[in-house]
Amino acid sequence: MQTRRHVLQCGFGAGVAATLGLRPQHAEAQALSSLQIFVPAAPGGGWDQTGRSIEHALRTDAIVKDFKFEHAPGAGGAVGLPKFIGTKKGQGDALMVGGMVMVGALIANKSPVKMTDLTPVARLTGEFLVVVVPEASPHKTMQDLAAAFKAAPGKVSWAGGSAGGSDHILAGMMARAMGADPKAVSYVAYSGGGPAQAALLGNQVTAGISGWGEFSEQIKAGKLRALAISADKRQDGIDVPTLKEQGVDVELFNWRSVFGAPGIKPEQQKALVDVMERMVKGPAWQAELKKKDWTGIYLPGAEFGKFLGEEITRITGILKDLGLAT
Amino acid sequence: MRQQPAWDDVAIGVGVMLLAVIVGWQTTVIPDNAIYAKVGPKVIPWLSTALLAAMGIALTVMGLRGGWEHEDTGETDYRSLGMLALGLILNIVLIDLAGFIIASTVLFALTARAFGSRQIPRDAAIGFVLALVAYLGFDRGLGYKIGSGLIEGLF
Amino acid sequence: MDTLSQLIAGFAVALTPYNLMWCFVGVTVGTAIGVLPGLGPALTIALLLPLTYKVDATAAFILFAGIYYGAMYGGSTTSILLNTPGESATIVTAMEGNKMARRGRAGAALATAAIGSFVAGTIGTIGLTFLAEPVVNFALRFGPAEYFSLMIVAFVTVSAVLGTSAVRGITALAIGIFLGLIGIDLQTGQPRFTFGVTELLDGLNVIVVAVGLFAVGEALHLAAQKKRPDGGEVIEVKDSVWMSREDWSRSWKPWLRGSLIGFPIGAMPAGGAEVPTFLSYFVEKRLAKKPEEFGHGAIEGVAGPEAANNASAAGVLVPMLALGLPTSATAAIMLSAFQSYGINPGPLLLQQQSALVWGLIASLYIGNIMLLVLNLPLIALWVKMLRIPEPLLYGGILVFATIGTYGISQSWIDLLLLYLMGGMGFLMRRFDFPTAPVIIGMILGPLAEQEFRRAMTISEGNLMIFVQKPLSLALLLIAVLALVGPKVWGMVRRG
Repeated sequence: MQTRRHVLQCGFGAGVAATLGLRPQHAEAQALSSLQIFVPAAPGGGWDQTGRSIEHALRTDAIVKDFKFEHAPGAGGAVGLPKFIGTKKGQGDALMVGGMVMVGALIANKSPVKMTDLTPVARLTGEFLVVVVPEASPHKTMQDLAAAFKAAPGKVSWAGGSAGGSDHILAGMMARAMGADPKAVSYVAYSGGGPAQAALLGNQVTAGISGWGEFSEQIKAGKLRALAISADKRQDGIDVPTLKEQGVDVELFNWRSVFGAPGIKPEQQKALVDVMERMVKGPAWQAELKKKDWTGIYLPGAEFGKFLGEEITRITGILKDLGLAT
Repeated sequence: MRQQPAWDDVAIGVGVMLLAVIVGWQTTVIPDNAIYAKVGPKVIPWLSTALLAAMGIALTVMGLRGGWEHEDTGETDYRSLGMLALGLILNIVLIDLAGFIIASTVLFALTARAFGSRQIPRDAAIGFVLALVAYLGFDRGLGYKIGSGLIEGLF
Repeated sequence: MDTLSQLIAGFAVALTPYNLMWCFVGVTVGTAIGVLPGLGPALTIALLLPLTYKVDATAAFILFAGIYYGAMYGGSTTSILLNTPGESATIVTAMEGNKMARRGRAGAALATAAIGSFVAGTIGTIGLTFLAEPVVNFALRFGPAEYFSLMIVAFVTVSAVLGTSAVRGITALAIGIFLGLIGIDLQTGQPRFTFGVTELLDGLNVIVVAVGLFAVGEALHLAAQKKRPDGGEVIEVKDSVWMSREDWSRSWKPWLRGSLIGFPIGAMPAGGAEVPTFLSYFVEKRLAKKPEEFGHGAIEGVAGPEAANNASAAGVLVPMLALGLPTSATAAIMLSAFQSYGINPGPLLLQQQSALVWGLIASLYIGNIMLLVLNLPLIALWVKMLRIPEPLLYGGILVFATIGTYGISQSWIDLLLLYLMGGMGFLMRRFDFPTAPVIIGMILGPLAEQEFRRAMTISEGNLMIFVQKPLSLALLLIAVLALVGPKVWGMVRRG
């Protein structure tokens, strides 16, 4: 039934597009004049904002003029991905926003479709994670926390986002690097950064993990103490050591990226990569990065595809360790 | 003082027991992982199964003992009920195929018919205008499209 | 005094014609989307985020705050008139409010909701102005154990809506708890009761269930009745559309009590807007002079929960503005709007952006007055909506329910769920099951479960945590008292 619906839907969609002269397959593989941006999440979230920033940057720098947005929220992208694959196959002007969260969501939910079915276009931004403790906590450094964790894993509770998300993945990676069983992590999942922060500010949990941007203001105000960041090296203007520096050999970026539809021609892929390349080099995108506090970790087409493959293997491994994947 | 069983009430009781069986069966299917959590994902589902099963049994017993009072709804108008149900089903079928506006027009007209209206063309026209205004309101006001479809493609 | 001078400076910002215009646009749009079931302020503000590229920060936040408050007003309108809650926090309003409308008292119900919203919104905003710091410090003392105990208190409120039979009421509650469990378990990431459907992984939307149970169920129920030759039941609008002297005297206390319940719970990071409405309903039923009217259109049951709902809306802004904590979907979207302006909201927001924040707070006072002025004359118009012939009225309700359901997810599966819930609502009506416990179970069940399991993880499985923490113990005692207190009191009086 599902399949038939998709076939019918594609039939109708293509028909209408053809009558309106929008058929992208026949467009020349030169500069794109319009883009359909597909966000597999609700309006307002991180992926939606990435999509909106792309639109803003491309418009401002006059690279692409026309945009059409589509949202298909649910389950970390596991609802939207099959929809994108089903409805946009072969359309050279379709661009889907996605990221690391989706890798985990697809594995945990045993999704029948894979991210490798898509055409990789570019990795755009990344956000490193930060490990914090409440202001009143006795733990002053990562070593303190690690020692407490090794002594009695059950007594150290970690607040973060939903189980299987990037925060939980980092907790599992850290436990493994510290020589403990990732399943022993006393992980307290919250539905978002706000409630998790509240639990930390109220001294309800031992430590917390989240994206740098979620906690940075609390850290600056001295309400939370940052012990370590998950970046590969020290970051400009942030006086927090990395995990690696403190003997926990872990590195994790919560990256966001864009993909093309499956089944597009190599020249269509190239056109999309070119658009992203021009955008990333333009002033408007750089301004957006600065404003939103995102780290630009641009990686084009094929190289991003290779990175994606490695990331899937790595995350599958850690989710298995956490008991979330089989 | 035993009375005649009220079979429709018994059916409701059995239905609730059946739901308890489904909930219980699906609870056993929840993957049990060895994650550190003192209370796993199955505890509350089991509790909910038990509660449903107990209530199902209680309702069935009540039904067998003559049932409980409900509001007198008079004779059931299956024709109208079927008309409305058809409208709902067509709405689901049409909304992805033909788009929100056509699906809503059909739903509106059939609902009106189910509620006793006999002016089908007028009702369909009202439904169409209502859906069109709503669609354009969202599109122009918030830049959000309620799906895509045959008529939606014209804007 | 410092606060006062800053507030006055805030009014100077908010009262410029330009900002007043945005405030007006906001409350109008907010009222409109509040009326539509399923479309909440969070989604609307998210859709309007691109505006942040074009409008200055103060104007944008005044607009967003107007939408937020406006949606709380609008949500009650359809609850009362059509038994179709526009927002999850107005589900309770539908219970008594719609019964009032059916008895020809729609005008009074809408008026007490609007004035109650104004009173509570103003009290909440005053609380936000002067009490933000102590309230937020109190709210942060709530950890998982305390929240769990608070949810137990809230569960007691089910007893107020069980109806004539405990068995049927508890069946409804159990069904609600089951519906609430559907989706990925937050604590372990495992899918529960999803039957392999990816659309179910994020769980059911409360509004879809509520609109299905109430509105679609009602439509099926009415359609199944034999038509009378006169063309069906038309709801008569009795007496005046305005509140009588008795209505006023029965409303003012519930307004105040609802505000006092709603504001602090709204300020709690996991409090939410629905829990205070349940609590307020329970309290009003227990304190009412005529408790037998509850379930048949008691004005206290509209006045209290509506006030609680609006005061909690102001409460949600407390952790957001005082600490930069987004504790509701709407607050999270508003915080991302701050980021669009390069402002990182945090504990220092008030100091670094004091003109913006105080302008926003001042515009909340203004928006509240605007909403009252906008809504009171509209009541006469809204009431006329009930004169629409039934065939067209229900056609319209079902089309709007479609917009609210399909419009957001663009998935026919949500529509199917809406109609399945409608079918269940139809059966429940026919067999005299109360529907409100379904909603209560669905909202409270998962909240209580998650907090219970969080508390167990933190305490390493020690159940004593719930009585060792004084605040948690106090809440549990309140729950016991609320449940058995009236019976004991009755025995004492009789004995």
